[in-house]
Amino acid sequence: MFSYLSLKAQTCESWLTVVLCMDVGLTMSNSAPGEESSFELAKKVIQKFVQRQVFSETKIELALVLFGTDSTDNPLSQDGQYQNIRVHRHLRIPDCELLIEIENQVQPESKEGDWLDALVVCMDLLHTETKGKKYDCLNIALLTDLNTQTNEESLEVIINNLTQSGITMQFFLPFPVEEDKEGQGDSERRDPGHPGTGKGLSREQKKNMELVKEMMLSLDVEDGLDEIHTFRNAIEELCMFKRVERRPVAWPCQLTIGSSLSIRIVGYKAVTDEKPKKMWITVDAQSHQKDDVKRETVYCLDDDNETEVQKDDIIQGFRYGSDIVPFSKVDQEQMKYKHDGKCFAVLGFTKQSAVIHRHQFMGSQILKIFAARDDEHAGVALSALIRALNELQMVAIVRYAYNRTSNPQVGAAFPCIKQDSECLMYVQLPFMEDLRHFTFPSLENKKFTPSDAQLSAVDSLIDSMMLVEEDENGEQRDLFKPHRIPNPAFQRHFQCLHHRAVSPGTPLPPIEPWLKAALDRPEVITERCQDPLDVLKRKFPLTEVEKKKKLKTSVGSVDPARDFRALIKQKILPFGEVCQQLTHRIEQLLSNKNTQYYMKSITCIQAFREQSLANAEHYNSYLQSLKGSIPNRGLEVFWELLVQGMICLFT
Amino acid sequence: SKKQTWMKKQTMEHYQSWIGKIISSDKDLVALVFYGTEESKNPRNSFKHVYVYHDLSEPGAKRVQEVDALRGEKGAKLAAETIGSGETSLGDALWCCANLYSDIKLRLSHKRLMIFTCRDEPHGGDSVKDRQARTKASDLKETGVVIDLMHLMKPGGFDISLFFCDIVSPPEDESELGLQLQPSDKLEDLLKRVRAKELKKRALARLNLCLGEGINVAVGIYATAVAARKPGSIKLYRETNEPVRSKTRTFHTQTGSLLLPSEIKKAQYYGGKEIVMERDEVDAIKKFDDPGLFLIGFKPMEKLKLHHHIRPAVFLYPEEDEVKGSSCLFSALLKKCSERNVFALCRFISRRNYPPRFVALLPQNEELDEGKVQITPPGFNVIYLPFADDFRTLDPPQFPSASQTQVDKMKEIVSKLRFKYRSEGFENPVIQQHFRNLEALALDMMAPEEIEDLIMPKVDQIDQRLGPLVQEFKDLVYPAYYNPESKPAAKRKTGQSGAEKKPKVELTEDELKAHVQNNTLVKLTVPVLKDACKQFGVRTTGTKKQELIDALIARLRS
Repeated sequence: MFSYLSLKAQTCESWLTVVLCMDVGLTMSNSAPGEESSFELAKKVIQKFVQRQVFSETKIELALVLFGTDSTDNPLSQDGQYQNIRVHRHLRIPDCELLIEIENQVQPESKEGDWLDALVVCMDLLHTETKGKKYDCLNIALLTDLNTQTNEESLEVIINNLTQSGITMQFFLPFPVEEDKEGQGDSERRDPGHPGTGKGLSREQKKNMELVKEMMLSLDVEDGLDEIHTFRNAIEELCMFKRVERRPVAWPCQLTIGSSLSIRIVGYKAVTDEKPKKMWITVDAQSHQKDDVKRETVYCLDDDNETEVQKDDIIQGFRYGSDIVPFSKVDQEQMKYKHDGKCFAVLGFTKQSAVIHRHQFMGSQILKIFAARDDEHAGVALSALIRALNELQMVAIVRYAYNRTSNPQVGAAFPCIKQDSECLMYVQLPFMEDLRHFTFPSLENKKFTPSDAQLSAVDSLIDSMMLVEEDENGEQRDLFKPHRIPNPAFQRHFQCLHHRAVSPGTPLPPIEPWLKAALDRPEVITERCQDPLDVLKRKFPLTEVEKKKKLKTSVGSVDPARDFRALIKQKILPFGEVCQQLTHRIEQLLSNKNTQYYMKSITCIQAFREQSLANAEHYNSYLQSLKGSIPNRGLEVFWELLVQGMICLFT
Repeated sequence: SKKQTWMKKQTMEHYQSWIGKIISSDKDLVALVFYGTEESKNPRNSFKHVYVYHDLSEPGAKRVQEVDALRGEKGAKLAAETIGSGETSLGDALWCCANLYSDIKLRLSHKRLMIFTCRDEPHGGDSVKDRQARTKASDLKETGVVIDLMHLMKPGGFDISLFFCDIVSPPEDESELGLQLQPSDKLEDLLKRVRAKELKKRALARLNLCLGEGINVAVGIYATAVAARKPGSIKLYRETNEPVRSKTRTFHTQTGSLLLPSEIKKAQYYGGKEIVMERDEVDAIKKFDDPGLFLIGFKPMEKLKLHHHIRPAVFLYPEEDEVKGSSCLFSALLKKCSERNVFALCRFISRRNYPPRFVALLPQNEELDEGKVQITPPGFNVIYLPFADDFRTLDPPQFPSASQTQVDKMKEIVSKLRFKYRSEGFENPVIQQHFRNLEALALDMMAPEEIEDLIMPKVDQIDQRLGPLVQEFKDLVYPAYYNPESKPAAKRKTGQSGAEKKPKVELTEDELKAHVQNNTLVKLTVPVLKDACKQFGVRTTGTKKQELIDALIARLRS
């Protein structure tokens, strides 16, 4: 399913349509001790699959058909035919509702269902529910242990029907299609231990397996048997939420060298710091409605009355030393730097290695530049440039502007030649203003120079921790590829969203173990580097410098409440003096009319109250005077917040 | 008169760095004090021959204009009239500066005094004056003032040991480079030195690089390349030009009451459902671990792909003050990584509640220029690596490759336009224009100073350098009818292809032979080549361009 979707989703012009057909019958619940049953595994596959679709918002419609059910509910059931098959959900866009239903309503049942019958129900469902709409990708995924009696006479009709209506099939089974096939090329994978395989297959399972093979080989697909998967492998692949995918947008332009040489090109973002597609919205804690919450920004003069100023009466200014220079938006627009728009113009060529520093790459993306589509001449011209640069080990320094309204950049275009394509890779380079030439003390210093013994300890650490190694066949193996790891932030995000959707009111789950493992040092390395690390630890004494902890002597402005509590505890200064220091800070905070400062003052007052239980005199008198001064100081908003925040504390 | 020229230079220089200052950090207080002047002007007028041209305050437009007035011929005349030149007493000047500092009621976080001079013996050997100056200098240093010397080369060499070595502050650390010990013979260099010192070196974060259980090296993270932007605007009230304050409030739409942070939650909409989280849960989701760098392993340098780039790099340097021994281990790691040409792969959490990223630590050795000035500091450059999600799936168009003749012609073009790239070579025209505009408005100039757009191709120069090469290249790759400037033809609608097809290009045998001779067959399109094959009865098994060409060549050469 994993490969299916990632391949087909792009070629599918219209919606992708999938019927998930799951066996929930008696034998599915069988399991060896300590192993998960086929039912549990199959349910996980379905859950993970639907999860992916919901959170990646793919164009897909889904139906769910269960068989082996105690009840029967399908349009074909008549005269004792098509029994124990239930259409749980008709074709619809998958949603959180479906996730909740799978979580709670898909449970093991106790009957036997004929998988070929169930398949017919699915085909019928696809047929009736897609009638009159345009669908090019119809798919049925069948999850079963094949441990039922089957009416094999219908097989040929079914195959014909599938071929005619262009429906593709996928099977998910507890065991691999052929013992040897599963192991191929997967030597790295730990033995998954498919349940049921140990004890050997039952007679039904063997017979059904032959039927499955016959079906998959006679369908018009390249290698039908590749679409028979095991539950465990499917779960492993589905574990990750689909990576954030975005359709690349073409940027047509002309590469120019001087005034009369131009090559028609098209650029694409190839690598970029991908951000989550959706932002958090603010909602009211009670109603969960975003319309109940409004954020408003008002402007006011810095006078005693805080006179409010209308938005239209505000202009922009910029600091020029101690002066502020008013600079209206109209003037800014008129005086600002203007340029001719979209461009990819060569300024000159320079040597690749010595001059272009990797750590000076700017921006957050790499563009790939190809010749314009369907323009062979442009293709040849660009190829000449790419190959020339490659042979000379040089790069083009170019001026790049995305369009008229974006700021122009300077950048480097590197030649990139792969087996099946050639392109230029563009990366932004710094402007003079962007660079900060910091100087740092030299490390060539007697105090820090490592001894030979120390250096060799580091040497053996590097030896033990090399992530790229050659195997017996002289082929390179990379043990850790960050660019193959899905962004853990997205994975965790969707895991938590899914949890909250399915089990509201419960705390968020821990990070999934597979994700934690993917982010960690490979086990082989951990084992191998243990000894060198021990040596390193002995050779390099590292001592944390004790920060001289200054005893608090006054209530500071950073965290006044904390300082206040600490000072009270120390009992060095008299209580009254500490209270005075705190109220002084509160007054300072309140001179800033801003919610953040208000909140900080409130925490101070809370601390004040909590420490005043034995002696409330200072607290009461301060609060009295504070309350009295509220109208004069225009602190009504603060007072309202204070009352709301302390309401339970007032006696 | 020598003094006069010096004065002029000094002022000019000050002026320039001042302009830079206004742009870079407008909150600093700056004073300009001349010593060795004829006239005297200072608070309480207690010092002779010391002229406080500008008191310690934030530099503004007016001051820039005033310093500007001292520039050039006219400026020199003005300077001679207003301040003149007279007896020198550095001690008095330093004392005066000390007073300027102490008159400021604000608490200053950092105090610096730069002495601009070209005289290594300012008092001409007067030991009393020398001693006075030394005493004052040490007083100043005791109050936390850092004294720097910005000296120019003088004939016979500027000898610091004669006098100034006792005046200036010692380097912060005995290991610190003696940046100011070498005199500079060029004004520009000096200026650069002033500028370089202006930048505050501040760590973005101090955290641990963990190599394994209990092996933590303290490091500081520094941003060495940050995209400069136009500084933010300040909102002003139109009538009076006074700054306004903004207040943001969150309130309930229906009741109108202010909402406390606890009365707000966060939500995202997926699969027909609003999924709601507490505000601290939103933060907790992003938390994987505490901030820090965790070593995963090492890889050979060639494993770092050029296109694995998602954001500008940062720089890593040990923090001996946090964990003693950090510098030594860091230094050993740097040395070995560099020697073995490997990089360290780490998991990196840059701050609290930030999800992890993987980074490559690239070793960078210290480099000094001839003047022993550091060009690149020792440390690791931290390159951020992309995750699987950061790659986009592209469907690259396929084209035939260029022939060696075509490539060679392009190589000639490339070689003609070769230049030495320097990363400081290009100013950002957008920002430069903005500053010029501000300057013009602040100083009431008629029009902003013109900027030179350094990232504009110098088309005339390029054309001239390339000469006939462009046409030669075009002849090799483009057919006569082809115009790359024209808009691409509108996409052909399916079904009407017949009428819109390009006219068939029939080649005569002579033309074809000419192409073979000139190696220009590659210029022709595949359909044309196929037609040619048919025309000359060439049987080909393949349909690839190179195969067609090879077959034609074989036939026509025989």
